[in-house]
Amino acid sequence: MTAIERTADLRGLQTWLQSGLIGPQPIAADEADQILAPSARLTGSQRWSIYQRAYSSRLLKCMAEQFPALNHALGEDLFADFAREFLVAYPSESYTLYELGRRFPGFLEERRPDRDAPDGSREPWIDFMVDLARFERQLFVLFDAPGHEGNPFAKPETPDERLVLQPCFALGSYRFPVAAYYHEVRIGKDPAYPSAEHSQVALVRTDYSTHTYRVTGFQHALLQILTRGLNVADALRVLGADLNLSGPEIQKFWTGTRGRWIAAGFFIPSG
Amino acid sequence: MAPAVARERSTLTIDIGSFAADVAALPRLGLGLGLRGTHFDHILTERPDVEWFEAISENFMDSGGRPRYVLDQVAEQYPVVLHGVSLSIGSTDPLNREYLAKLKALADAVTPAWVSDHLCWTGVLGANSHDLLPIPLTEKTLHHVAERVRRVQDFLERPLILENPSTYVTFIESTIDEPDFLRALSDETGCGLLLDVNNVYVSCFNADLDPVGYIESFPCDRVVQMHVAGHEHQGTHIIDTHDRPVVPEVWELYRLAWQRTDGASTLLEWDGHIPSFEECHAELLKARRYMGGQFNAGRSHDVTKSGHESLSTPVDFLVPNVMESAVSE
Repeated sequence: MTAIERTADLRGLQTWLQSGLIGPQPIAADEADQILAPSARLTGSQRWSIYQRAYSSRLLKCMAEQFPALNHALGEDLFADFAREFLVAYPSESYTLYELGRRFPGFLEERRPDRDAPDGSREPWIDFMVDLARFERQLFVLFDAPGHEGNPFAKPETPDERLVLQPCFALGSYRFPVAAYYHEVRIGKDPAYPSAEHSQVALVRTDYSTHTYRVTGFQHALLQILTRGLNVADALRVLGADLNLSGPEIQKFWTGTRGRWIAAGFFIPSG
Repeated sequence: MAPAVARERSTLTIDIGSFAADVAALPRLGLGLGLRGTHFDHILTERPDVEWFEAISENFMDSGGRPRYVLDQVAEQYPVVLHGVSLSIGSTDPLNREYLAKLKALADAVTPAWVSDHLCWTGVLGANSHDLLPIPLTEKTLHHVAERVRRVQDFLERPLILENPSTYVTFIESTIDEPDFLRALSDETGCGLLLDVNNVYVSCFNADLDPVGYIESFPCDRVVQMHVAGHEHQGTHIIDTHDRPVVPEVWELYRLAWQRTDGASTLLEWDGHIPSFEECHAELLKARRYMGGQFNAGRSHDVTKSGHESLSTPVDFLVPNVMESAVSE
């Protein structure tokens, strides 16, 4: 089928143009010149190539802005290579650019060259890259997620039975200290590639700023239970049962944590 | 003027003539600026003396964070209009009902003076190029777009304001000039028009057309709003970059457009390398110098010497600087 036949209706024309824009191959110049008018200075295909150049540059720039720490870690060229491949595999399907990077961490994982290697023999720097992308995506989501600003947060006197997590909250568990790396980049440093080290963080947005808190395994376990929607009193009971801990042991842990988490805006009063 | 064709829609009667009347009654807002994240703090703290703001719809329709908070604050103090980049009115994909529902909800909440988008398509087969791509201008595509405009207006229960896009290609099969296409579209649907004067300059240079002739043949009586912006001249073509001051040639065209539209609301777009609010505002206020006097076309093009081609239709300003608001504890 010739270009003219393929583009005889608007649907065909748009499908053909788009394939050369977001697909891996540009449309053929001789075909473009049959459809697109020349100007006094450029052929039809040269004119269309303005769109092709801009498409890639435009979205690569957006990807770099959504993953600034990963862009720093990989360097602009390597990051752009990954992002370019990603955009071919997963072109945007949303009206909003906020969704552009949603599948990027998963893409990095699925395209890793050592994905079939047994655990323990995979390249650690790829794990770092994937986890850093996951962390950045989570931060990006929390930035504009529904939050609790303008409404009352829990106070020290709020009983445990009424303490529930605030809506703009997320937990992260990573194979590298990606949050520390991210915040070093944020303040303009050039941190070294970190060694593997299990890290767990809580992300909490208050007053439209997203705060990163490192949490212990014990704290992470409690927060994980709380993300199911339980109040603190119930979550502590579940945690005690899960870990086979006595009431006093649980209370001792909780007493040392409660005030800091309330002050940090982890909780809102239920009911 | 379009005939007042009444069409039934469940419990509501939509009258195309009423949309045209609505458009004619829209206010003259004066000189406005695009609402950009980099200026949020300045606007909230300084309450600058700007007559109105234009917000990019897609940046606020899903927002539960600071962008929406800021828009709500701004809308309490200034007139606001919503300007979209993803309606894709020229696409052959079905209209995105989820998108339209969110746009309607945003419009109901913010009560903008009007809602606008572009005469373009952004993707098909469910994809979004995030570019404003041109369509061939023919009787067939006019019918296609008009039908979609009618459906959008019915859904939103308000007129749609459509902008002439900046274009880098034209189609051999096109049979209608863009001003005539937009006039016919407005006649058939009652929609209003946004005349982007910089886009006129860019598209006309890229297609070897006379921008003055374009403005003179444009249905200026349907123009609700105008845009001005900076561009980059590459010699062989012009890129609509929105990243620098408006060139004198575009200001001269604006002088003509201002007269012919009887002083339509005017907005400066500055989306790349965005300078301080004060600098953007000062650039906007240059418009006052072109609200009278005689049109003077005698200018020369300032061709970029870098050899580097800047980005058309920059969208990275739509991506928030999340790192700025991230705190390590």
